[in-house]
Amino acid sequence: MIRDERNAAGFQWLLLFSVFVVATCGLIYELVAGTLASYLLGDSVTQFSTIIGTYLFAMGIGSYLSRFLKDNLLGWFISIELMVGMVGGFSAGVLFILFEQVVYFRIILYALVVLTGTLVGLELPLLMRILKDRVEFSDLVSRIFTFDYIGALFASLLFPLIFIPYLGLLRTSFFFGFLNVGVAWIVAYRFRHDLRGYRSLRWSAIVCLVLLAAGFALSEHLTRLSESLTYPDKIVYAKSSPYQRIVLTRGGNDWRLFLNGNLQFSSLDEYRYHEALIHPGLSRVHHPQNILVLGGGDGMAVREILKYPSVRKITLVDLDNSITTLFKSNEALMKLNQRSLMSPAVTVVNQDAFVWIREQKNTYDFITIDFPDPSNYSLGKLYTTTFYRELRRLLAPGGCLVIQSTSPFVARKSFWIVDETLRKTGFATLPYHCYVPSFGEWGFVMGFQGELPEDYTLPAGLRFISAATLPPLYSFPPDMDRVASEANTLNNQVLVNTFEKEWADYTR
Amino acid sequence: MISRRKFVTRLVQGAGASLLLPALQHCRPAETMHAQLGGPDAALGHRLRTMDFGPPVSDTTTGIVIIGGGVAGLSAARYLKRYTSDFTLLELAAEPGGNAIGGQNAVSQYPWGAHYLPLPNDQDPELVAFLQETRVITGYTDGLPVYNEYHLCFDPQERLYINGYWQAGVIPRAGIPASDRDEIERFLALMHEYKEMRGSDGREAFAIPVANSSQDLVLRQLDSISMETFLTQHNFTSPFLRWYVQYCCADDFGSAPADTSAWAGIHYFASRKGKAANAPSDTVLTWPEGNGWLTNQLQTPLREHIHTRSMVHNIQWSHGQVAVTYFDATAGVSRRIRARAAIVATPQFIARRLLPDAPRAFRPEAFQYAPWMVANVTTTAGLTEKRGEPVCWDNVLYGSESLGYVNAVHQKAGLTGAERVLTYYLPLLGTDALARRQLAQRTTADAWTDIILADLRRPHPTIEQYISSVDLWIWGHGMIRPEPGFIWGTDRLQAARPLQDTVYFAHSDLSGLSIFEEAFYQGHTAARQAWQKL
Repeated sequence: MIRDERNAAGFQWLLLFSVFVVATCGLIYELVAGTLASYLLGDSVTQFSTIIGTYLFAMGIGSYLSRFLKDNLLGWFISIELMVGMVGGFSAGVLFILFEQVVYFRIILYALVVLTGTLVGLELPLLMRILKDRVEFSDLVSRIFTFDYIGALFASLLFPLIFIPYLGLLRTSFFFGFLNVGVAWIVAYRFRHDLRGYRSLRWSAIVCLVLLAAGFALSEHLTRLSESLTYPDKIVYAKSSPYQRIVLTRGGNDWRLFLNGNLQFSSLDEYRYHEALIHPGLSRVHHPQNILVLGGGDGMAVREILKYPSVRKITLVDLDNSITTLFKSNEALMKLNQRSLMSPAVTVVNQDAFVWIREQKNTYDFITIDFPDPSNYSLGKLYTTTFYRELRRLLAPGGCLVIQSTSPFVARKSFWIVDETLRKTGFATLPYHCYVPSFGEWGFVMGFQGELPEDYTLPAGLRFISAATLPPLYSFPPDMDRVASEANTLNNQVLVNTFEKEWADYTR
Repeated sequence: MISRRKFVTRLVQGAGASLLLPALQHCRPAETMHAQLGGPDAALGHRLRTMDFGPPVSDTTTGIVIIGGGVAGLSAARYLKRYTSDFTLLELAAEPGGNAIGGQNAVSQYPWGAHYLPLPNDQDPELVAFLQETRVITGYTDGLPVYNEYHLCFDPQERLYINGYWQAGVIPRAGIPASDRDEIERFLALMHEYKEMRGSDGREAFAIPVANSSQDLVLRQLDSISMETFLTQHNFTSPFLRWYVQYCCADDFGSAPADTSAWAGIHYFASRKGKAANAPSDTVLTWPEGNGWLTNQLQTPLREHIHTRSMVHNIQWSHGQVAVTYFDATAGVSRRIRARAAIVATPQFIARRLLPDAPRAFRPEAFQYAPWMVANVTTTAGLTEKRGEPVCWDNVLYGSESLGYVNAVHQKAGLTGAERVLTYYLPLLGTDALARRQLAQRTTADAWTDIILADLRRPHPTIEQYISSVDLWIWGHGMIRPEPGFIWGTDRLQAARPLQDTVYFAHSDLSGLSIFEEAFYQGHTAARQAWQKL
């Protein structure tokens, strides 16, 4: 008799504990879905509201459906708990993998939220029915909801404070899935004598645990994707090319291109950057005809170059044909670059710029270099004396080249290293800078041989560069002024190390 | 995951009996690997033992015949080319280059053996001249050579995996006790003293070529003890330092400190004094295909003189001439070539067999060679890295007997990174080189792959998922081992002595150090002697 009572009490408390776990896990899955949706789709207020709403509604559906479950309630309770663990545990991983299919992404997202909500919604009514003959009804309701809400509090505090910082989104989701299934197994084991189909439940639990553990272990592979996915605006295009992850976002009129998470341009102010990249140099070249663009697959620099009627031929070398194809085929983007890449004057070469220039013999009147910042050793090679020496060979007499050279405000030493590297290679240099709101202060270095004419002819219709705004670009305030620097070579890569440190110090 | 069977695509096996044999074998597909291990050369090896070559079908003459197309043989030919076109080089392999050869797959060129050249000392004028000819040295600034930036090792040069972390540089520093760091500093300071030191005869204590080193007896006595004994005598006990010295001995000699002459061991640290106008002096020159680039430069102007797939099996004197008989593997016939002089640019264990009755006063067993296993591991995008420095040219693993790996794509211009070829070097250390060589021949390709993966999994735990192929090469006699007493003993000098003013010897084993500079020096020296005598 005493044993039976103790058993009954144990029965009750174990089930209540599992209510606590289900509540915690359920809320965690909801938070994971909301966070992920905000990450991937932007606009966190909308995402959280709609996801919480959908989730709660789905719980209602689950509660309603619970009436159709008759026999073997405990078996159902445990099966559903296993399902919640699997669906919730894998939800974040599935959403990450499927994000590439942008078209269906929302459908999948909300389907998962509805499924999780429905399953969690089934749990409480079932539990109340299981316990209804063993516990006084008023006690039952009080206890179940107490545990339910404690679980909710627990989840909402732990999620942002512990789990996201230490485990990350994916591992958190797998971890709670694991916990969920683990508790289901314990409950099943404890009541194996009262339970029909214990053996099959046990095997299901083992399979679920193995899968979730594997998911947890592999999360790091998936999480690496997530680092490039924290964008403020809505993602309208995302693709991983062999070289980089390309993401295009749109917030109202603001189109932004990100490569590996780094902003390449904002449509609101890119004209400032691209006018500054092209016109100070090209307007000084007499009758420019043959132009070389290295990097700059978005066609914006080409757009500016096409404003010079003497230009006959533009060769654009960009490693990644995913970029050049995108900017040759997407209507919205072709509005931005004014179909520059479709111009008959333009030849697009998708090759490694370093490998390509070593094989070139022709000379160019103007060369512009719009590579990503030197943030790794591979990119750092494109900023070396060796690379610039190859360029010098390709520069026609009277021509000049311009290199985008990161921010002289944030990375002052890095900027002056580019200048020094060009000088070391035998160029005379003319550094300048301009303000691009989405980038901040940005720097360029013009390189030429011998004398460059002082006079220049700007094309009509520029929005930023003018005879009045040009001269101040060449003067540097003291906080960005020249610092003594070493030249960047293949065998010292001093630029990469400096650049890394300066940006890390700035963003810290 | 790719099955192991699939990614071990081929194994080329250097013969235990001969350094020269492996290049005659062609790559075998995986299916035949197990059966073929140690066997691909069996047919040819058998012919060599039975001397079943048939009578020569042709008899020609040449001024000087060079036997062997490794660095020494090619260097000898380079010297002769200045004065004459009347010489012939016989090389057993399909490609000259010896242990400096390289290979290539869809991802990159890669080395199969020697893969870098330290900046040469300016007392090595012949080598400096060669580097100028090949535009490795592009000019001079303030009296210092300016090196071609494509050939100077790109930054970052080297890293060491230690305590779960990739540190910059290969001298252990990260997370090691201060007392060990002090000991390493003390050791390096001592090596620096030797580097600056001159002997009582005024010559540099340690020079390249070895022949230019001081004859000071006090210094030469360092040859009589092992590097291990030297460390003990100087109270160097730090395990971190001991490992580092072991790594250095393995790097240049393929031997453990206990089997390495202290003179040679110190030579590694104290002989390299090259300077450059545009690089620090510890920089090296390297190429994706390793020193194969250098041997290609050497052989390009010599093509018409080189006969490949030609296995010399006998050298005799007749009527004041040297008669060399060789098996032309392309035609499948034996040929004879008569010359006024011969330069035997093979290691001495081969030379001895070619001249079985010649009066050469050295003990054959004094010449010990270190066996090596080299693997080119091709990896796909996404290879995971531990914390610390990103991938470098040279990637060394603390505590390992291997030299770690060289990233063959490192020295390519342009973007690199996604796919790599990791050239993994494993010297088969052990006092009994013969036993290790035989063990190496018994080891299957799968077993080698397990050994490599066990080592590489430490810094790259999931590397197996990213491997597209593993290619293996066993060098049965990879390097001469400068065991105690060898460098300044009599065997080396006796073996180098020309015979009857007509047969000369040129190989790095005659220097006692298997490095490009010594082979180059030996080749030139022998060629000069032979030419002057004519």
